[in-house]
This record gives sequence, C-alpha cells and structure tokens, in this order.
Amino acid sequence: MSSHAASAPAALSAAPASTAPAASKALTLGLAGIVLTALGLFVSGAKVVAHSWLVGVTYWTALAIGMLLLVLIHHIFDASWSTVIRRQFEHGLAAFKWLGLLFLPLVLATFLYDRDLIWPWLDLNHEMHGGHTVGHDPLYLKKAAFLNPGMFLGMTVAFFASWIWLSSRLRRASFTQDQDGSLSWTRHNRVTAALGLPIAALTLTFAAIYWIKSLEYHWFSTMYGVWFFANCVRGALSFGVIIMVWLWQRGDYKGILNTNHFHSIGMLMLAFTVFWAYVTFSQYFLIWNANVPEETFWYNLREINHDGASNQWKWIGIFGILFGHFFIPFFFLLSYRFKITPHILRRIAIWILAVILLDLCYNIMPALKDSHGDALPLFSLNLVWILTSVVGVGGVCVWAYLRSFGTAKLIPIRDPRIGESLTHHE
Amino acid sequence: MSAQPYGLIATFKTAPALYHAAEAVRDAGYRHWDCITPFPVHGLDKAMGLRRSIVPRISLVGGITGFCTGMSLIWWTGAVDYKLIVGGKPLFSPMFAFPVSYELTILFTAFATIIGMFVLNGLPMHYHPVLKYDQIRRGMDDTFFIVIEARDPRFNAANTRALLAQAGGEAITELEP
Repeated sequence: MSSHAASAPAALSAAPASTAPAASKALTLGLAGIVLTALGLFVSGAKVVAHSWLVGVTYWTALAIGMLLLVLIHHIFDASWSTVIRRQFEHGLAAFKWLGLLFLPLVLATFLYDRDLIWPWLDLNHEMHGGHTVGHDPLYLKKAAFLNPGMFLGMTVAFFASWIWLSSRLRRASFTQDQDGSLSWTRHNRVTAALGLPIAALTLTFAAIYWIKSLEYHWFSTMYGVWFFANCVRGALSFGVIIMVWLWQRGDYKGILNTNHFHSIGMLMLAFTVFWAYVTFSQYFLIWNANVPEETFWYNLREINHDGASNQWKWIGIFGILFGHFFIPFFFLLSYRFKITPHILRRIAIWILAVILLDLCYNIMPALKDSHGDALPLFSLNLVWILTSVVGVGGVCVWAYLRSFGTAKLIPIRDPRIGESLTHHE
Repeated sequence: MSAQPYGLIATFKTAPALYHAAEAVRDAGYRHWDCITPFPVHGLDKAMGLRRSIVPRISLVGGITGFCTGMSLIWWTGAVDYKLIVGGKPLFSPMFAFPVSYELTILFTAFATIIGMFVLNGLPMHYHPVLKYDQIRRGMDDTFFIVIEARDPRFNAANTRALLAQAGGEAITELEP
C-alpha cells in the first residue's frame, strides 16, 4: 500500500503539531467546571445538581456514541471519502473511559446518599402523586423486572464496557495500520463494525431508556432509542465539522480536505436533521393522536402547569425544539454554498450542538418538579449548573481527544481507501 | 442550400487535451458549446465554466408547493367544505395534516426534480445534429470531442476553427443542422 502513502502530502510524514498546551487548557477548564458544579450542591441542593450533571454526562456520551457509530458505519460500508476525517473520530473515542468515570458520581450518590436522587423507581418508598409508593405502583410492578437496581447497575456497566471495548478495537487496528500497513487491519475493523453496530444500537437505546426515559417510568414511547440515536449522530457530525475547520484553519488539513469533504459531511448533517425531525415528530404525533393519559402526561408536563397556564418548556418546545432543532438547520443546510464554506458550516454545527443540549434538557430537566408537580423552569439558577456540568464533562472529553491526537498520524496514511479519500469528488 | 451549419466539431485524443481545450473555449467566452466524452471527466464542469445546476431550486419550489397543497387540501376538505369531527379532534390541526403534507412534499419534490432535469436538458430529444457526424460513435469509446454551436454570438466559422485548432483539436469538421 506504499503507493497510497506516497500520494499523501509530504507534510504528513511529520508528527502533527503539538496540542499539549490546548489539552492542558481543556483539562483545566473541565476541572473548573467540575468544581463549580460541586459548589452548586451547596447552593441548589443535590437533586438539581445531580440532574444537571446527568445532562452534562449524557450530552458528551451522546457525542462519543455518535462518533463510534460514524466509525462503525464507515467500516461497514467500506466508505472512502470519510477516511481522512475518521481518524479524528477515533481520537474522540478516547473519551469513553473518562465518561464512565464521570458517570460514577451519579451511581455512587444514588446508592450511597439518596436512592431517590434522580431515578424515582430506584427508591421503592418514593411517594407518588396520590399517596401510594413506587413499590405499590402497578405500572412499576409490571416493569420491575427491567427497572431495578441490579439491572440498572449491570446495564450501565455493560454500556460503558461495550463502548470502551469497541473503541479500543477500532483505535488499535487503525493506529497499528499506520505502522505496518497491513490490510488485515481493514478486515479486522470491518468485523468489528459488523459486530459492533448491533451492540452499539442496543446499548445506546437502553442507555437512553435507563438514564433518561425512565425518569418518568410511567411513560411509553417506542421511538425513544431512535430519537437518541439521531441526536448522537447529529452531534458527532457537528463536532466533526468543528474539528475539520479547526485543523483546516490551523493548516494541518491543507491539501487534504477539499470542497467535497465539507459538502459530503454537510449532506449527512442535513439527512440526519430530517431523520431527527421525522422521529421526534412521529413520537409527538402518535401520542397527540392517540390522546391516552399514560402518554400525554409527558408532553403536558412540558407545556402546562397544574393550573393550566403555559410554562417555559412550552416555548422551549416550540422555538428551541421545533424551530431551533429542525427548521433553522434544515433550511440552512439546503444551501450548497453554506455547506462548502467551512466557517459558515461551522456556524450551523455550533448551533446544532447547542440545540442538542437543549433537547437533552427538555427530556431530562422537567423530571425536577415543584410541590404542585409542575416542571421547574429551565431559565433559572439551575441553568448555571447545567452549563458548568457541560463544561466540566466537556473539558475532560476534549482533553482526552487532544491527548490522543498527538499519539497518531493526522490521517490513516496507509488505509487502502486513503487515495480515494484525498481525491474525493462529487 | 447554403444554410448556416449547426456548428464545428473538433476531435481530441486524450482527456487532458480536451480539458485544456475546454478551458481555452471557456476563456474565449463561448456559451453554446459542449464536450462529448466516453466517460465522466472529473473537473471538466469547472474547465467548461459551468455553474451548478438550478434543479435544486426547482425541487425546493416543488417541495413547498407540495407542502402547501397538503395543508390546504386537508384544511379545506375538513374544516371548510365538509366539516366533520373525527376522533374528537379539531376540524383542522397541522398535526394530523402533517403526514399527508409531508408525503406530498416528497412527491412534488420528486416531480419537480425529474421534470426540471428533463426540461433543462431539453429531453426527450429524438434528434441531434452531432449524430450525423460519422465519427461520433468513437465518442463512446476512446475519443473526445468539443462542439461549438453556430448560434453562439461569438461564433465565426474562421475564428472558431482557428481557436479549436490552436487548442489542439484535430479533424475540425462542420456539422450539418
């Protein structure tokens, strides 16, 4: 495969420019975020901070899962154009073990401090609206085989174990191929992809159900895993665009990326925007149409208070989710010019990353209720702890990415598809 | 009859030769001309100075038309022409009108795209003057051609022939209309 390596620009034989200063900055920022979030415990209490931390951890886990899926999809389709950016996603996968560590406080606090901290069904004595407890709730008892402490712990360990295992297989094969150029690594990765895609699909679905959906365990929605999947991939593509533009402006990607790489990733962003909207609307529409209380309460909580007045979440749903998450990116990404102009594409990538965060808040935060059972508003002091959590977990993830960045070549120079990728055309 | 010819056709042996000749014709300011190649030559659209197709815009118009058709169809039939309450729902809501509007968006987008492409390409076309050229079949095998049409405002039998010759074109031939 040396002929392919020879077609890569000469600058690639050198190691990528150092990212160590940026990495330490990211880690400092991350630790500062974590400390600030911890201070929130004394200001807003454990419940609020725990939910905010859940938003932060699931947000970055979603991005990492999205990157894992993109790498797996790349290999299963024997894709060519994405070869030059695949390496960046592989570096991103280095975050999984840290995400597992950052999820740990939620588990420890739940089991050692307060069973009722986040997931009400983990505490059988949790008192429900109307006086009876979770332990006597028929809907819980029907789901108890699934929603119980053993399953929660076992599944969460299994999620992180399978993500870390798949990531390390993909990373090792890809990085080793840089050294020995053996084609067997490409086949190795294809096997990982065939094996990993069903595993990733199941784990991300159950993770969304255990961590997010079960906050309201009465609720039913068969779309939930797909909704989470769409967000994962949209987030990873957007993060990929930010990395691409950063490396392009820094000079690393000069002579490697061309207009068509940006066009292609922009088209994927558009496709997943439509897919996300299809799934999210389907969930809403089916519940709206059936109009069954076991399902509608989830949206009612996000629209009206007990006295019938609209709450903040209604406007977040309309302007943040419907317009912000769908219409704005959709019409923006229809344009060819916007997709091929790096700094403009980056703008919409940042926007999409922000609305994905809003979407996760929309799904998680209304689990926090006041004494009337109304959802606590998003725009309050609680938002501060969400942001510090996102920065805290994000700093660690970006640090993990940058630390991995220096350990391998910028692009997989001996991948059999690298020549095709470097000359990617429409 | 001394009718004006359809245009001039020139032969090129290799893709790079055609590519550079296309750049020369583009820079000379011609608009009604085309390349005939046995396979897609990447980057040729740029060498020819072609803009991106406007088919996507036609598709967008089709899509918006489809969406509005779906919404107004359901609103007019259910809430105006024959008021009927179904399943305790309001007479009209964008919610239940959405699946139909969405399907019509896709359908009309597809129609607009296909029809737009056909119209812009001048299809169906049962006759084209280059088909009379006895060497044209080699354009499906190993030879490249550039055709400059006589209707181009810059067309001038002598000058255009000189341009093609200078660009490396061989066997420059006049095409009958």
